[in-house]
Amino acid sequence: MSDNKPKEQNSIPTSKVERSAKFVTTGLKIGGNYIKHYSKKLFNPDLDRSELNEDNATDIYQSLSELKGSALKVAQMLSMDKNLLPQAYVDKFSQSQYNAPPLSGPLIVQTFKKYFGKTPEQIYDKFNIRSTNAASIGQVHQAELNGKKLAVKIQYPGVGDSISSDLKLIKPFAFRMLGMSEKELDVYMKEVEERLLEETDYELEVRRSIEFSIACKVLDNVVFPDYYPDLSSKRIITMDWLEGIHLKEFLATNPLQELRDRIGQALWDFYNYQQHELRAVHADPHPGNFLITPNGKLGVIDFGCIKVMPDDFYYPFFSLTSTNLFADKEETIKAFRKLEMILPSDTPQQVNFYHELYKQMISLFAKPYITDVFDFSDKAFFDDLFGFGEKVAKMPEFKQARGVKHFIYINRTNFGLYNILHELKARVKTDTYKPHVQELDQVE
Amino acid sequence: MATTESIQKAYIDYVLTEGKQPQSVYVFAKKNKMAEEEFYRFFGSFDAIEQSIWTSLMQKTISEIRSQEIWPQYSSREKALSFFYSFFELLKGSRSFAVYSIKKHKTIGTPKVLEPAKDIFEEFATGILNEGLESAELNDRKFFSKRYKDALWVQFGFVLNFWIHDDSAGFEKTDEAIEKGVNVTFDLFQRSPIDNLFEYGKFLAKNGGIKEKMGF
Repeated sequence: MSDNKPKEQNSIPTSKVERSAKFVTTGLKIGGNYIKHYSKKLFNPDLDRSELNEDNATDIYQSLSELKGSALKVAQMLSMDKNLLPQAYVDKFSQSQYNAPPLSGPLIVQTFKKYFGKTPEQIYDKFNIRSTNAASIGQVHQAELNGKKLAVKIQYPGVGDSISSDLKLIKPFAFRMLGMSEKELDVYMKEVEERLLEETDYELEVRRSIEFSIACKVLDNVVFPDYYPDLSSKRIITMDWLEGIHLKEFLATNPLQELRDRIGQALWDFYNYQQHELRAVHADPHPGNFLITPNGKLGVIDFGCIKVMPDDFYYPFFSLTSTNLFADKEETIKAFRKLEMILPSDTPQQVNFYHELYKQMISLFAKPYITDVFDFSDKAFFDDLFGFGEKVAKMPEFKQARGVKHFIYINRTNFGLYNILHELKARVKTDTYKPHVQELDQVE
Repeated sequence: MATTESIQKAYIDYVLTEGKQPQSVYVFAKKNKMAEEEFYRFFGSFDAIEQSIWTSLMQKTISEIRSQEIWPQYSSREKALSFFYSFFELLKGSRSFAVYSIKKHKTIGTPKVLEPAKDIFEEFATGILNEGLESAELNDRKFFSKRYKDALWVQFGFVLNFWIHDDSAGFEKTDEAIEKGVNVTFDLFQRSPIDNLFEYGKFLAKNGGIKEKMGF
């Protein structure tokens, strides 16, 4: 954070409510910026938008950096401070989209007419024009066809456009404020933009949902809705209505340890099966994407965000977590170099420094993998994680960009998973789907 | 035998190919193998054809949305939104003509070609607005309630212009403009803090001399 000294931060917003309140105020400020801009423009028509953009970006950035607390602590840890920004974006976008006003009934009818040439009533036997839930970038409606209860997800218009334009807007300020070069930051920004844009492609989501639900059929206690490609389009997805409750409501029912363990195990298997068998993972472990069904199974209802792991990331990363590679300093450093956690320009002292810290970091992260069973209610483990994240965030050495772009979503996925398991207080068998790292030798 | 539709069609084809109105009714009639006299049985002028195209679009939209099963369940706001969406969906089929017809008239206010369409629009708007006033969805304000329909017409003109310049895929931006614009307009028709402020002012005025009563 170069010459722009950020305003002092006296407190970090901790609860979810406070965090979303934060975004609401940002929204208001930005609204205010527009009013300021247009009232000035009334008197000076030549006024360009650069001042407005600057106002907006400063406000967005302000609120993002105030969010450093609980929400981002975890992500920061392996993601190293530079990822703070993209990570915060991911959160900001999902947050702001939750605040989007519901679509009007006529717009829903219009969307159907545009993509199917028919009104919802002509397509389904029953269609509830009032939405039942908000999805991340749209809303969900209940419908019925041939006696089957369906969930119909409809996307807000213009979401894709606003993602790209928001990212473009923030870019120059991010470079300046983080004191990072454009090239360094661009890689991460692109990664985030790509994923966010993929989420707006509902045709892709339907294809992937079907692929993943078939691939994950082998897993116990994980269920998926059926998808209907004929009744889906670029902005509409039709799938089965899954009965169930969200994690929060589930926890409020005070479930037995046995049931918590079962759901936790299903989650663990779901994520690790994808990471290690499919090499592509549902990268949005947001509690809203899961349901606990009445018969105690885990329902997965959103495949919008998928992160594919290329071999040149997978092998070095998981050989760090799941082999005794750390015993060999030379080999460890080699892996760190492949992952760009140690850079070619580093001095020998720097190499030593980063080697030591990343080793600590990854050992901590890999702790659940080391024993066959791990108890995620273990508060000490999470305190260690958060504490370490906090420490690293304060180190000047971690202001610089480090680590390949794939870390952004893989960290988000694994820490998101850890967090949910912690909330569940689940005991999980962690040796069910292990990383395949033996191929490492063949790759080299 | 010429019909209203066949003349409309031939006219649209002519202006879109030539980029301007035919030189005279004589030329146009001859080209379409009919007597000039026959033309006048349907239309008095070329502008009248354009006007009729706009009014039939308007009428078609209104009868289409009214026939939708969901129509009676809609609030006034939703009825207005439904009209806007359906109208611009229908207009897509005649986009080139619409752009030609609107761009030709560089006047302030309602273009001449839209005048008869405006009457139909206003009749429709008054209908749904009155429903809203009756059900108390909208706030009845002295003098202003009668102007609500004008505000909707202004909104219509705005969206039409927006749509003409919209180059987004599927005119998605126009959908956004409708959703946001019509909602804002209806927000203004509803009871708002301004009304409460006004009421409060009235109350204070009626109960003048409060200062003395409170001992200031």
